[in-house]
Amino acid sequence: MNIDELMVLDIKDRANEAYKKIHEVNDKLNAVITFIDDDGKRKEGKLAGIPVALKDNISTKGIRTTAASDILDNYIPVYDAAIVTKLKEAGAKFVAKASMDELAMGGTNRTANIGPCLNPYDDTRITGGSSGGSAALVAAGIVPLAIGSDTGDSVRKPAAYCGIVGVKPSYGRISRYGIIPYASSLDHVGYFTTNVKDAALALEVLAGRDDKDMTSSFAPVENYSEILNSDVKDKKILVFGNVYDALNDEVIKDRFDKVVEGLKERGATIKVVHFDDDLMKCLFPTYFIIANAEATANHSNLDGVRFGHRVDGTSMEEIMTNTRTRGFSSFIKKRFVIGSYSLFEENQERLLKKAQRVRRLIVEEVLKELKEADGLLAPAAGTIAPKLDNTSTDELSDEYLIGENHMVIGNFAGLPSITLPMGYKDEMPIGINLTCNAFKEADMFDIAQAIENITGCKDMIKEVA
Amino acid sequence: MNYDVVVGLEIHAELNTKTKMFSGAPYHFKAEANTDTNEIDIALPGTLPCVNHEAVKKAIELCHALELKIDPLVRFDRKNYYYSDLPKGYQITQQFHPIGRDGHLYIDLDGVRKDIRINRIHMEEDTAKQFHLYDETLIDFNRAGVPLVEIVSEPDMQSGQEAALYVEKLKQTLNYLDVSDARMEEGSMRCDVNISLKPQGSTVFGTKVEIKNLNSIANIKDAIEYEIKRQSEVLDNGGTIDQETRRFDEKTMTTVTMRKKEGNVDYKFFPEPNIFPIRIQDEEIQSIIKAMPELPDAKQKRYIEEYGLSDYDAKQLLLNKNLAFYFDEMMRYSKNAKACCNWLVSELQGLLQKNGQTIETTKVEPKSLSKLVDMVNDQTISSKQAKDVLVDMLDGNDPEKIVEEKGMKQVSDTSMIEKLVDEVLDENPNSIIDYKNGKDRALGFLVGQVMKKSKGQANPQMTSAMVKEKLSKR
Repeated sequence: MNIDELMVLDIKDRANEAYKKIHEVNDKLNAVITFIDDDGKRKEGKLAGIPVALKDNISTKGIRTTAASDILDNYIPVYDAAIVTKLKEAGAKFVAKASMDELAMGGTNRTANIGPCLNPYDDTRITGGSSGGSAALVAAGIVPLAIGSDTGDSVRKPAAYCGIVGVKPSYGRISRYGIIPYASSLDHVGYFTTNVKDAALALEVLAGRDDKDMTSSFAPVENYSEILNSDVKDKKILVFGNVYDALNDEVIKDRFDKVVEGLKERGATIKVVHFDDDLMKCLFPTYFIIANAEATANHSNLDGVRFGHRVDGTSMEEIMTNTRTRGFSSFIKKRFVIGSYSLFEENQERLLKKAQRVRRLIVEEVLKELKEADGLLAPAAGTIAPKLDNTSTDELSDEYLIGENHMVIGNFAGLPSITLPMGYKDEMPIGINLTCNAFKEADMFDIAQAIENITGCKDMIKEVA
Repeated sequence: MNYDVVVGLEIHAELNTKTKMFSGAPYHFKAEANTDTNEIDIALPGTLPCVNHEAVKKAIELCHALELKIDPLVRFDRKNYYYSDLPKGYQITQQFHPIGRDGHLYIDLDGVRKDIRINRIHMEEDTAKQFHLYDETLIDFNRAGVPLVEIVSEPDMQSGQEAALYVEKLKQTLNYLDVSDARMEEGSMRCDVNISLKPQGSTVFGTKVEIKNLNSIANIKDAIEYEIKRQSEVLDNGGTIDQETRRFDEKTMTTVTMRKKEGNVDYKFFPEPNIFPIRIQDEEIQSIIKAMPELPDAKQKRYIEEYGLSDYDAKQLLLNKNLAFYFDEMMRYSKNAKACCNWLVSELQGLLQKNGQTIETTKVEPKSLSKLVDMVNDQTISSKQAKDVLVDMLDGNDPEKIVEEKGMKQVSDTSMIEKLVDEVLDENPNSIIDYKNGKDRALGFLVGQVMKKSKGQANPQMTSAMVKEKLSKR
């Protein structure tokens, strides 16, 4: 049930099903790291009694928060993330800390220390990541809202693979205070719902200035769900030509064409744009350098001295070395080495600073067009959710470099971006992504509502138990 | 051989803000271990830094006082290294864009003003305090995140004395601005010395040795003097100076090797992504500067030029900023600068010391002390009486009231004094003879007797004159 439907029930009963069914569902999907029991308390608010799942990198006072990493296996925060406080005040009921890629550094949810999270539509396939657990719990119909985080496309990609709505608003729109970081300049709080209206409502609760996050914005929070309409008559929408051209899947392209056609019919102006292809091929390497450089510093606090899983040694230095050697998977350590390497004085100019310059060029290139329009539209992914054991991706192909990485533009430029389902291929959901101008979340929801109306893909649930 | 000594200082001063540089946790020097901390200070996952506005203000004040160019775009960087006293695994500092550059501090070197250039001042956060026991280490995170300014001088000093004068002057400036407690003994001000020697007249710098963590001005001076001697001897004997970090050993009064430099550590500095650059509007900078307290140099000038105090007196007042502020307050009520200065510096301070009090804790109001000084000045009471009154003032009483209650008003009534003088002379014929025989002491005795009869209230000058006059007539 979506939020509207749950709201019809008595406040006491809205989360009952979720608390009851989540264990059984988890046996099938491996989506939960820590279950949260019902405390029986209910409180009025925009999300009164609504069950919500939190990605396990969101700090919850008194509730274990591991970020799916061994090093935080026993870590229990003493404070709530800013959004946890906001959700509590709105009456939300937390049911689980959801699985994720270790420290949010991945796109498959295969790197969680509890093992991979499985796609509700096909348990041989991934959910995508890094917010895979949150996506799976929404797609399986356990919760109508789950919080994730999005550094490259960590909400919007799993949303596509799981057939749900995934939102990453503007940088600064939602406080990051209390979110275990990945890369500070790219990190966003994002979330999943099953329809656009719920997504608009959720942002009302989550958004707003927080003095504890200096990068959070003073821009006023609108009543997104109330002002929501599907009128796109005066909207100018760009079709991301580079992405479309890079994709090979005819079903995905066909569904995408139909959405574009529908928008045209509703009076939107459509323009196909081609950005500089060389810049688009730099999306992934640029992201990879910046994200890992910031991540290696961000996670330097994980040393076993003050919290977390300590591995002993004969000196402080040895404790730190042992803790970090054992606490991270080799995959994470590889990323730290890469991040560190690009921070070294002799490399920084050639790697990190260059990546930052390229990031700026990419942003300028995209904004040149987007500023004159209302949205940029592209298929969210080039394929349906890959198989768990897939290793055949050609990471140097345009299909991968552009087709699978274009959503990082939203993180580079801090733009609001939403993925929503647009149909199926082989009984697996496929998604479409819309990116809009900064702090134009209301525009984004309006266009998304029109798309939802066109596709009819709303409240897609795949029950697994 | 003779050598030129080249000394530069890096000084860390804790800013005395209510809360920390990037967190809302309070900081008190004597707080119980790990009580002045919050989730940000111990770098729990997910915490974010938030710049302390007050700290930036204080840094701007210091920059202005030391004539640095202020960068209105405040930016921070990460300095990455692993150490158990550094909770985040990086320190937030200002590597690339310090808040101030290119300033000056002037020291008074035996009456000659010497300019010590300041390279930069930047803001950063302090680390935790570690206590290494036999087989364990205790960490107190109270200090973690306390705002610091690092003040980096150019290598413009040539002796231990110059360095000591520089540190003293800097400490005084920090105190007057009220930006730092600047107590070396408590670690709220810490000093690292860079020192090298080169043959006299040479333009090529010698190898630099760093002496870390000096905790008193005396130690700075002694360490530099020892190091000059040590390096001279090494060089004289044809040796070379190792680039190294040394520490000062108070017991032996020598410096000893801490660690040899093994190439420079790469701190992988990069801009702090969680703090966007902060633009400080020019109006704000101007209003900060406008609200700044007067600095010691300006005060000294004013005391000498406007109040006519001696150089010595002015310096006495400036030794303690609260003494100077007390004096400034006194001068709102009195015109007798010299007398105010004396009564404050000698009488009140002396009395306070005897009673285990200080100028900071005393109940004697500046206004009251001014009144007392004026009463002496216009001969309402004698200075001897005034000293007694001052004792009673320690409880916060008003001097006029005390004088009134004790009936102390000095008698300047001639007829009254005349009567007493006559009485005394009549009672002491021997003293009159002594006086006539040239024994000056007799005069003092007679005056004293009159004073005694008046219960100390007779104006001593008038009494003395009167006694002399009467004696001459007998």
